[in-house]
Amino acid sequence: METFESETGLSSEVQRHKKLYTMLLEAIPSSVLMLDRDVKVISANHNFLKKSRRTRENTIGFPLVDIFPTIILNTMNIPQQIRGVFKSGNATGGNRMSYRSSGLPMNIYYYRIFPFTWKGVVENVMLLMDDVTEQIRLSEEVRRVERHLASIIDSVNDIIISTDTRGRILSWNPAVEKISGYTFADVKGRPFIEYLPTEKQKDIHEVFTQMRNGRNSRQEEWELITKDGTAIRVSWIFSPMKDEHSTTAAIVGVGRDLTERLKLEAELLKSQKFAALGVMAGGIAHEIRNPLAICSSAAQFLQNDDIDTEFRKECGEKIYTGIQRASIIIENLLRFARPSTNSHMEKICLNALVEETIPLIHNQAKIQQIKIKIDMYRQNIFILANSSMLQQVLINLLLNAIQSMPDGGTIELSITRSAGDVLIRIMDTGTGILQQDIDKIFDPFYTTSPVGRGTGLGLSISYTIVKQHRGTIEVESNKDIGCIFTVRLTLL
Amino acid sequence: MENNTAMKDHKDIYLIVDDEPDMCWAFQNLLAQNKILSQNALNGQDALRLIQKVDFKAVFVDAKLPDIEGLDLAKKIRAIAPNLRLIMVSGYFYRDDPAIRKALEEGLLSDFVSKPFRNQEILSVLKSVE
Repeated sequence: METFESETGLSSEVQRHKKLYTMLLEAIPSSVLMLDRDVKVISANHNFLKKSRRTRENTIGFPLVDIFPTIILNTMNIPQQIRGVFKSGNATGGNRMSYRSSGLPMNIYYYRIFPFTWKGVVENVMLLMDDVTEQIRLSEEVRRVERHLASIIDSVNDIIISTDTRGRILSWNPAVEKISGYTFADVKGRPFIEYLPTEKQKDIHEVFTQMRNGRNSRQEEWELITKDGTAIRVSWIFSPMKDEHSTTAAIVGVGRDLTERLKLEAELLKSQKFAALGVMAGGIAHEIRNPLAICSSAAQFLQNDDIDTEFRKECGEKIYTGIQRASIIIENLLRFARPSTNSHMEKICLNALVEETIPLIHNQAKIQQIKIKIDMYRQNIFILANSSMLQQVLINLLLNAIQSMPDGGTIELSITRSAGDVLIRIMDTGTGILQQDIDKIFDPFYTTSPVGRGTGLGLSISYTIVKQHRGTIEVESNKDIGCIFTVRLTLL
Repeated sequence: MENNTAMKDHKDIYLIVDDEPDMCWAFQNLLAQNKILSQNALNGQDALRLIQKVDFKAVFVDAKLPDIEGLDLAKKIRAIAPNLRLIMVSGYFYRDDPAIRKALEEGLLSDFVSKPFRNQEILSVLKSVE
């Protein structure tokens, strides 16, 4: 610090104060200039000189305009502000100024002008400048990151919500606004549970309690009740948001609207079913036209005048039986193509389902010289299932078995119980599956059938259906020995 | 399984191969009404055995038999009785079916009748055989 008075003649106490003042000015990371009424520099601290790459010799005693670029002084009106402080005796409020010394990157300063008043007179003013370049850069970076994160949450198609630990809504992104019809303003602070089905309240409480206790994420499928009362199936993942002490501070829920996926799945299921019907068509044609041929011949016999009563009766009987046979085949086919049940799970008797299913593939098996052996569990077995979907699994597995035995063979279908499960086992004596193909058989569109014979969807659809029934499907196979497919489902 | 009409007669005799007893019933009555002798076989094996024993005028074969495909049976019959006339009667194939066309072109089959048939169609086929 440049001194501006001779040190001689000052008391030791004053000298002490002065030294302390100088030390302080040199130590602080701010830039400090003292200016007189002519706006000339009377002192400059070390930090100022360093930042502006100046020396005391070309600074002290020079007018401010020679030190600061004119453009800054004029834009900021600094000389005018300095004169204002001299006049009023009051410090200015804090301001920002950008300053670039030649050859250095742009710096941003926060500055204030203070009056130095002695005995009621403003003798000097102090221009105090802090380099805030880094802070501004950081805060801009933080803002940019925040904006980026916010725009992710706002632009995703998935639902993102958060609640406090009591389950009151803290955030609600535009995706959930769109799906639910409720704006964030509608739901802010409301219990999240209000937008979920009442029958799920117990489960919801349980999940939220677990989140509060710091358990990791949980996956759930809960419907979201929209403003117009529609229930939309949503697959949720809830996770606890933890603070720096690892305590759950909030709960975050990310959800995906399943409507479209469920619709596609249903369409896929239907198209695979039609493909299975196509495979069955050959067998059905043969099996229906046989009784039709018998009826047709018998009817033509009846047209003759010279037949006896007994033969006439016989003809009538054959016609009646033939029609019944054809009708049963068509009836079974219709039940498979257009099931009357809805898509929900209900209590069904597995034994009855198997008995209804066998006639559907029986024709196909018969024309390929395949024997079907059934080993049914002695008691009726009840499971929670969708009978139409489960029938599709049985048909797919049985048709696969049939297709693997072009030269005839045997299918053994057995139903057994194992602890709380039921095992449906379908065993064939067909061509089997190569060991390297076993991993691929449940992949969609994977097929070894010639073009036009198989879609490669049967097993992947069956896998999906069994999974929806919370069961498993397994295969054991050896080339040329045959396959064993085992479907494991939970008993009711 | 076999045997319904006289065998050791000078008259022509026909073989019907169909696993459906009622179908055999229809054939049998149709032929009997027209004073034609016939015999039935419910599977391929029985049919081959009978053909080796009896000199049939023609054979009606179903396309799907419990032990063999109708067309495969036709090939086996051809091997032991090259000049025997074979007529396929089936609900599985249709007249222009590629497999049937090929069999007719190759001379494996003499004729094809689709099920259900007019009784007259069978009688016409019989006439063409004579």
